[in-house]
Amino acid sequence: MNDIFDLQMRLNRRNFFGSNGLRFGGLTAGLLATQLPFAKAIANENATQVHPPLAGYPHFQPKAKSIIYLHMNGGPSQIDTWDYKPVLQEYYDKDLPPSVQGGQRLSTMTSGQTRFPVAPSKFKYEQKGACGMWTNVDLFPYLSEVVDDIALVRSVNTNAINHDPACTFVMTGSEIPGKPSIGSWLAYGLGSESNDLPAFVVFTPKFPEDSNGQALFSRMWASGFLPTRLNGVALRGSGDPVLYLPNPSGVSRDDRRLMLDTLQALNRGAQSEFGDPETSTRISQYEMAFRMQSSVPELTNIDSETAETLEMYGPAVRDPGSFAHSALLARKLVERGVRVVQLLHRGWDQHGDLPRQIGNQCKQTDQPIAALLKDLKRRGLLNDTLVVWGGEFGRTVYSQGGLSKDNYGRDHHPRNFCMWMAGGGIKGGISYGETDDFSYNIVKDPVNINDINATILHCMGIDHERFAYKFQGLDQRLTGVEKQRVVTELLA
Amino acid sequence: MHKSITLVFLAALNFDLVQASEPLSYNRDIRPILSDKCFACHGFDEKKREAGLRLDTPEGALSDRDGNRAIVPGKPEESLLVERILSSDPNDKMPPPDSHKELSVEEIEKLKAWVLQGAQYQKHWAFEPPVDSPVPPQTTGGRNSIDAFLGKTLGDQGWTLSPETNKTILIRRVAFTLTGLPPTIEQVETFLADESADAYEKMVDRFLQSNHYGEEMARHWLDIARYADTHGLHLDNERQMWAYRDWVVKSFNRNLPFDQFTIEQLAGDLLPNPTLDQLIATGFNRCNVTTSEGGSIDSEFYYRYAVDRTSTMASTWLALTAGCAVCHDHKFDPISAKEFYSMYAFFNASADPAMDGNALLTNPVLKLETEEDKAKLAVYDSQIAQAQKALQEAVAKIVYNDPALANPKPEPSANENVWLDDDYPPGGNVAGSPGHPTQFVTSEQGAPVFSGKRALKRSHDTLSQDVWDNSKVPLAIPTQATLFAYVFIDPANPPKSVMLQYHRSGWLHRAVWGDYDAIAWGTPNTPERVHMGPLPKAGEWVRLEVPAEKVGLNPGDQLTGFATTQQAGTVYWDKVGVVGVSDPANDPQRSFIAWWNGAKGKDTAGLPGDLNAVAKAGPEPKPTDELLSRLRSYYIERICTETKGMLAESISQVDKLRAERDGFYNAIPSTFIYKDNPTPRDSFVMLRGQYNQPGEKVQPDVLAVLPPINKPQDRALNRLDLAKWLVSPRHPLTSRVAVNRFWQQVFGVGLVKSSADFGTQGEVPSHPELLDWLSIHFESSGWDVKALMRTMLTSAAFRQSSRITPEMLERDPENRLLARSPRLRLDAEQIRDNALFVGGLIDLTQGGKGVKPYQPANIWEPVGFAGSNTRFYQQDKGSALYRRSLYTFYKRTAPPPFMVNFDAPNREQSCMRRERSNTPLQALQLLNDVQHVEAARGLAQRALSEGLEQPSDRIAFLFKTVLARSPNQTEAQVLAEQLAKHLERYQANPQDAQQLIQQGETKPASTFPVQELAAYTLLASTILNMDETLNRN
Repeated sequence: MNDIFDLQMRLNRRNFFGSNGLRFGGLTAGLLATQLPFAKAIANENATQVHPPLAGYPHFQPKAKSIIYLHMNGGPSQIDTWDYKPVLQEYYDKDLPPSVQGGQRLSTMTSGQTRFPVAPSKFKYEQKGACGMWTNVDLFPYLSEVVDDIALVRSVNTNAINHDPACTFVMTGSEIPGKPSIGSWLAYGLGSESNDLPAFVVFTPKFPEDSNGQALFSRMWASGFLPTRLNGVALRGSGDPVLYLPNPSGVSRDDRRLMLDTLQALNRGAQSEFGDPETSTRISQYEMAFRMQSSVPELTNIDSETAETLEMYGPAVRDPGSFAHSALLARKLVERGVRVVQLLHRGWDQHGDLPRQIGNQCKQTDQPIAALLKDLKRRGLLNDTLVVWGGEFGRTVYSQGGLSKDNYGRDHHPRNFCMWMAGGGIKGGISYGETDDFSYNIVKDPVNINDINATILHCMGIDHERFAYKFQGLDQRLTGVEKQRVVTELLA
Repeated sequence: MHKSITLVFLAALNFDLVQASEPLSYNRDIRPILSDKCFACHGFDEKKREAGLRLDTPEGALSDRDGNRAIVPGKPEESLLVERILSSDPNDKMPPPDSHKELSVEEIEKLKAWVLQGAQYQKHWAFEPPVDSPVPPQTTGGRNSIDAFLGKTLGDQGWTLSPETNKTILIRRVAFTLTGLPPTIEQVETFLADESADAYEKMVDRFLQSNHYGEEMARHWLDIARYADTHGLHLDNERQMWAYRDWVVKSFNRNLPFDQFTIEQLAGDLLPNPTLDQLIATGFNRCNVTTSEGGSIDSEFYYRYAVDRTSTMASTWLALTAGCAVCHDHKFDPISAKEFYSMYAFFNASADPAMDGNALLTNPVLKLETEEDKAKLAVYDSQIAQAQKALQEAVAKIVYNDPALANPKPEPSANENVWLDDDYPPGGNVAGSPGHPTQFVTSEQGAPVFSGKRALKRSHDTLSQDVWDNSKVPLAIPTQATLFAYVFIDPANPPKSVMLQYHRSGWLHRAVWGDYDAIAWGTPNTPERVHMGPLPKAGEWVRLEVPAEKVGLNPGDQLTGFATTQQAGTVYWDKVGVVGVSDPANDPQRSFIAWWNGAKGKDTAGLPGDLNAVAKAGPEPKPTDELLSRLRSYYIERICTETKGMLAESISQVDKLRAERDGFYNAIPSTFIYKDNPTPRDSFVMLRGQYNQPGEKVQPDVLAVLPPINKPQDRALNRLDLAKWLVSPRHPLTSRVAVNRFWQQVFGVGLVKSSADFGTQGEVPSHPELLDWLSIHFESSGWDVKALMRTMLTSAAFRQSSRITPEMLERDPENRLLARSPRLRLDAEQIRDNALFVGGLIDLTQGGKGVKPYQPANIWEPVGFAGSNTRFYQQDKGSALYRRSLYTFYKRTAPPPFMVNFDAPNREQSCMRRERSNTPLQALQLLNDVQHVEAARGLAQRALSEGLEQPSDRIAFLFKTVLARSPNQTEAQVLAEQLAKHLERYQANPQDAQQLIQQGETKPASTFPVQELAAYTLLASTILNMDETLNRN
């Protein structure tokens, strides 16, 4: 490398996969050595980190190196998943007491209802695990086996009552479009340890066909005002896993190599003519593209997994684009040092016909999520991987539309809902925060979305207050301008 | 480092300890430090101010506070500020350690030195009017005033401008800057052949005259305007406002002065007798994202839209980040929340609704009728009037006896009502499944038709249907009713099942034939899903019948919708209706009086206003004879089954003409425009930016720190006043902000690097005198954008070489001094347009509806809402694939990947500046995207068809076409070697060659051997991927 290249590289942070030139030696080699045999090939080839962290990051020793964020899109009912409310049975079809409702804002989908009849959950709950966590054993037969690894938060609250702003809030810390997603923030601060894969990978797996699938928005994994190289890269279930990955038909890998060799010679000419360091970067990016053409198919191929592993994730694991398949790939990604993996599963918006539909949602997700936790754990990866589960808001205790013991619907409820975390830095087997008997108001230990985000950053070794990016004259933070709190009670 | 650059923007890299003797400037040296480290607690925002101390004004900083003064000019040792920043006691130290803001040693030294020098404050430069500084003497190599200003700063560093670059680089640089397209070989040759002294200027003028100039200029503006083709929130349905995009192109092409450009977009509707164009221009303020999400609260979104419009106006013309003041007084800039909401009040009067209705056209909209259209509509109207007259005459001839008045009353008898034959009944909405619109076919098209002129056709590989619903004119269920429909199943592609669905108060009435569970709707084995039998026989028309009570429908029930549904397959439907028995005296379809009684007390859709009132009033008391006769005629013509049948011919003539007229009228596009409500909504300071927390009431006004606005005596300020104020003489911001952004467009980085932020947190200008000079001259030229572009492009600064020396890279890596021309990676649109252009594929048609070029599968689908009309991407065919990228349909929640991959914004918010990233995902796109492979083949074909025989000549042609220059010897040689190897490989594997050249929708020319075309395709692809190709060099 010549001097020009070196200097420019120090100044240039715009290059996704751009080789950095600064991180030779001890630190990087050490990081790589702790990884898989797979990492050795990279270490030998090029002992540099292609997604370097910001200088001074992480702020302190992180508990988790990677995060897998499972976003259940649409607003899973907390009453039918994790917020056990036995008292409700007595209130079946009785009106929600006005003292509980408290004149709170309702979405205009139910603000015109004349009655607000309480709909108890029809599902069975049991105490599971050594911790005795109340768990919905009808919907979560598999997850109920791993509750000792889970820190449940029953008192999450958000400001938004509709999907679009709520999704934008949960993923970017703000309801207004334009802010970076949490994945982009993490990739920005921490870079990634994988040299062959993007730092931030997103899955939008299939979801039940007859569910009420709300829209997703690319802003949920977009970089906002951060550099665009930090956009989440969608690994796609059908078609090419990465856009434009394969060569056109009729072009072999050798053809491509030959072409790239010429291209490199021509570009070296441009480099000496113009002296532009971006030219060198471009040369290395074309080489990286060439390497990705083999590393990505290697990743998405699950044939090398044992039959036992595949069985663990359930039969859908063989169906590319299914939630189970994506969950398995999530494990492979963190194994390869990818910093952020996000799965966005749609269809959790049950205004009516809730019991049947939420059953379908859980059928697709319960077994793979439990398998993911177990699989990470037995490989020693769960200590380094933070797993987060949650939606964008909760649902009302009163029924929207018709109510019977077995069938009901629920409207949006931003005042409290459940999320859980597991893995790196998290104390398993605990339940935090309490709601009233109607799961309508928080009575103890409220946790805002941005408290959750602050806690995630903390597990990843970042002090959210110091994690700022100057934009439009402000120090912009994922966690906003209000004071937020790391929920230390969840930490191991 | 004795020559190091001490401009503040390079200070971080090249800091020399400040000598006390060296005069410091508050704006340049001190404010950035105070602003960054102190103003958050000791600045403009009163609520967040700590200890009552204010450091952003001399009054605050110098005032005596209990015997202490934060700053004592000339005496650092007596100044509390200096004491506290030097303190090592964490309780005293400033900034406090928990603020995570720390002063560097250099910053502390600067603050001390500044206090020692007298602590002179200056008003923020951007709020002072521009200063008309004399142009410095011209320096070496300089050509115009820009060069003189730049040369002076360069001279201070012992530098000069670089020498002029060669002509081939120059013309390509100019062509991309002004038109976003490469020069043609002919254009290059003309320029090379012109040896006159002003050959360059003439060449620039030619590109300025090109009608592609407006397209390139518009591209940048549309990022600012956040223009897109969908609503942006929730369903993200399509919206129609491309006329605004075309207006921007046209305005740049006709060089609409920038002040007028500003006024028309912000307030075209308030101009006296606005033209069509001036109304279209107001689309600027309709480009914001909108929602129609169920459950949303109107007032929240009225608020949000007005905030978005205010912030966009402030950043576009003032480069002020007013958004911060939404929640609180701005911490750094003198914008109070009250002032923000006073600007917001200009936009809080908008006539558009909170909910966009997920509609293509959300009011207010403007129909873009041409004179030709108007003439054609007039013809239709006169034909309709004639046909209507003939119908009236036929009605008059009919003898109708109301059975209710007969004596004795007739016995009940059978009666058939056909709802759908050639058309759906009036009053409802018709919708096909998303991505598969409703389609009528005729026997001329070879389709089976059971009755009338046409039948419905539906063909899909999954669940699919045609739905008629939300009808204002309900359909009655008679007694002993049997619902029926005719169906024809394509034997080649039968469905799994077919279904009839009916809507009364819900979609709860379904009858299914074939696989009962293939469509899993409704509770099984209830009227919600009744199994009627096996799939009807294919290849012939079969009458399906459903006794109404079987699907839970009773006599007198009123249907507001029905649907014909199928699970996969190809199915034709025709003649849908009901047959039943009715008592003629009580059947509204038979008895006028019975119908009138039924119509009493409600509105009847389709009736003219005065007749509707009559119908609504009921038969008693009797209306005037004239009204009664007209109502009766209406009944005979439109309601009574028997007489309607007798009049079928005349009615269909009228209806056909009306349908044609409507079809023609609906095909005339419309566009979103901006208007005010007659009475504006009251505006308040919204506490903490919450839409439901109004505080103090405010009136429209502008920022106090800027020049005052002329307030009319007799009315409140409006948007036109605001727009005129923005472009009023010597406004300190508008002209500077505009000039700076055009500079950024041409030179890559603005003179103020933070082109969206001229506030105190923004960067200071690298060349303040030049910025002011340009801004003053822009204004005095009559806001002449072309003249400004010409001035910049004819400067020596633009014409110089872009070669970077190691010294330049070390001392000025960001090229803020412009000792070299910037080398810029082409933008997303330019990269694609370039490939289409040199590949001979491009369709240069301008304007119109957004087009849908190649896009990998599953970009829209994985994010789209089930009911969204932009859930399925329907790629265009033919030349629409090759339109300029500016015309690509822009869906905000899933923007075109070729754009995003190269840093285009998603257009959810205004964007002033794109990045230029350099990633492997870009390499993959340029190598493998079908669009680029097809363009490479097109380019290869051109090389092969130019009559050039030798590989070296063909390679030279490729080079000239793409790079406007010939290859050097090394380049020619490596390419020739590559070609030979590709040829060899494809000779051995002709099937691979065949596959490669088949990419894309255009067919490969058959005149060339496939092996040769394939080899040249890879060669062309190599050249299209060269760093030099992807850059403006």
